Amino acid sequence: MSATLEYFQYVLAPQMLIGLVLGVAVILVALGLTIIFGLLDVINMSHGEFYALGAFIALALGSIGLPFWLLLILVPLVMLPVGYIVERGLIQRVFHTGDRHVTTLLLTFGLGLVLEDTFRLVFGPNPYKPETPIGGGVDVFGIFIPSYRLFLIVIGAVIIAAVAFVVYRTRLGAMVRAAAYDRHMAASLGVPVQHVYAGAFAFGVALAGLAGVLLAPIYTVFPTMGRDFILMAFTVVIVGGMGSIAGVVVAGLLLTQIQAIVSLYISPVWSDPIVFGIMVAMLMVRPQGLFNRLGHG
Amino acid sequence: MTHTKTTILAALLSATALSGAYAADPIKIGVVTPLSGTYAGIGQQVKWGLELATKEVNAAGGIMGRQIELSYEDSEANPSVAVQKAEKLFEVGKVDFLTGTVNSGATLAVGQVAERANKLLATTVSFADSITGDKCSPNVFRVNAKAGQQSTALAAWLAKAHPKAKVFYLGPDYLMGRSTVAAFQEAAAKVGATNLGEVFAPLDSKDYSQYFGQIRAAQPQVLYTSVAGNDTVRLFTQMQEFGLLKNLTVLGASGTVTSQNIGAIGKAAEGFTTGVGYSAEIDTPANKTFVAAFKAATKAEPDLYGTDSYGLIYAYKAAVEKAKSTETDKVRTALRGLTWSTPQGDKTIRAGDHQAMQIMYVVQVTDGKFKIIGQVNGEEAIGPNTCTRH
Repeated sequence: MSATLEYFQYVLAPQMLIGLVLGVAVILVALGLTIIFGLLDVINMSHGEFYALGAFIALALGSIGLPFWLLLILVPLVMLPVGYIVERGLIQRVFHTGDRHVTTLLLTFGLGLVLEDTFRLVFGPNPYKPETPIGGGVDVFGIFIPSYRLFLIVIGAVIIAAVAFVVYRTRLGAMVRAAAYDRHMAASLGVPVQHVYAGAFAFGVALAGLAGVLLAPIYTVFPTMGRDFILMAFTVVIVGGMGSIAGVVVAGLLLTQIQAIVSLYISPVWSDPIVFGIMVAMLMVRPQGLFNRLGHG
Repeated sequence: MTHTKTTILAALLSATALSGAYAADPIKIGVVTPLSGTYAGIGQQVKWGLELATKEVNAAGGIMGRQIELSYEDSEANPSVAVQKAEKLFEVGKVDFLTGTVNSGATLAVGQVAERANKLLATTVSFADSITGDKCSPNVFRVNAKAGQQSTALAAWLAKAHPKAKVFYLGPDYLMGRSTVAAFQEAAAKVGATNLGEVFAPLDSKDYSQYFGQIRAAQPQVLYTSVAGNDTVRLFTQMQEFGLLKNLTVLGASGTVTSQNIGAIGKAAEGFTTGVGYSAEIDTPANKTFVAAFKAATKAEPDLYGTDSYGLIYAYKAAVEKAKSTETDKVRTALRGLTWSTPQGDKTIRAGDHQAMQIMYVVQVTDGKFKIIGQVNGEEAIGPNTCTRH
């Protein structure tokens, strides 16, 4: 019995805690993705690059002396107009074609490539490592965890709760959900659908940027960093149910825990194939995902 | 009288013009190297090194009175592209000699092209032991230190600095990562180190903290790693974040910490130790002259790739002058056993496997820069000849 306890305390629990940090990171990236998909029905292939954009803006602003805590507020605020302009200026142009999924997918994919090359031109190909804002570490029930990672779990939970509150408990959120459910009906009831769309896209992009600021001290900043979380984020959105916030949280935690625990027993190279295997199985058995779409059900 | 003088003058002029035309018939050296893509930085150093040496040799009268001419082709760090470009240089460019290949796969593939064309190839960059080992070719030479020389030098230092060390291994999970870890495990076992275990992480891993439990449990004194690029940044800074770098000596492959990532790693790179064939810090007059000339020409510091490429031109010059010919068979014979001087000291090409022997250096990161902390003789570091084809 004590051997089992020891195994839990020294092997399994630390691994699960590390998995939890990764889970929060993935959820932060996937949140914006699922909101954009749930409302606009657009698969934002450039979401990873907006995550990178947030990190690079933080890097640039940090280098002129702005403190990290200010950047946490400033970067999402800068990202909002960027997202708004991208939605109105680019996405709306191809949004009303019959092949919306294909055209918006190609558009955002191209946008991602342009952004990635722009990062390379402006910042060069080499990685940057921002200073960790909180140094040191703490013991949680005998398990060592760096303070910043603990902070990430806490602030991640706060952000998720805040997003859920805005979407499900405010008038703004009600308009968003109404537009997602039936845009024509919502429009006829006086919801400014155009602005709701652009605003929701901007909100999703700002969340990606915020994730970029938060994760940069752990995962470093470099031009192709957008590819890091994007496959996992897409998987989480698909398994959780496209457009569902609860789905992203549940699937994000579930899949990263599976990865963390599985990598204890088999080669870590297999942790990605296992997660993608779960996604494929989910698409075959329950294509709508664990939860329902935003504004539905 | 004036008329005669003019005639003589004209005759003399035409004679010099003629001999000038003959002397200007250059020796052509083909360079297939990555000028774009992931390894463009290495290709740049190769180009700088070759150009500096060529300029010096040409200014001093060339090789047997003939100037050297370099012809470049971009290999895009892709073996199949490198093969096409090498064929083009041999057939259309009519080059006498080929160099520049960077990744080991490209060197092996272009080596076969050289064999078919009956020309010689020398790599100044590729590390894989097999190039001058079980996949050696009579037409391929290597003037840089191979992976085995680097790990032998590092293991020799380990035996002195940490006798009977307990070592844990962490490598990237692909051919190069696994072979570098295996090579150091072998070299470390010979000097009495204990192997506590190994873990191979996928290339481009985001988070290495999932392996830290394993590393902590093994309680190693030394960690050997062969991750590279941004993977090194993440591994080292995350280890620092988790307090794992305390009382741990970190060793690695020569490509683990480079000028490209050392800035981002910051303090976490302190104490990192590796074995290399060159460091700009080498304190000899020859190296100081070379570094100054290199910096003046390129505004950059030479790394091992630039320096080994620079040295190659002098090896080729010495061989052609010894052979009194640029013919493949004669130059090959002249290169075998050739000793010539380079910025990092005298090098000798071992006749049996075409591998250059040289002093190997052990370098350690101190205050954000590599400092030389030890060296190992060429004979000690090169290891047995395993080539069976010469």
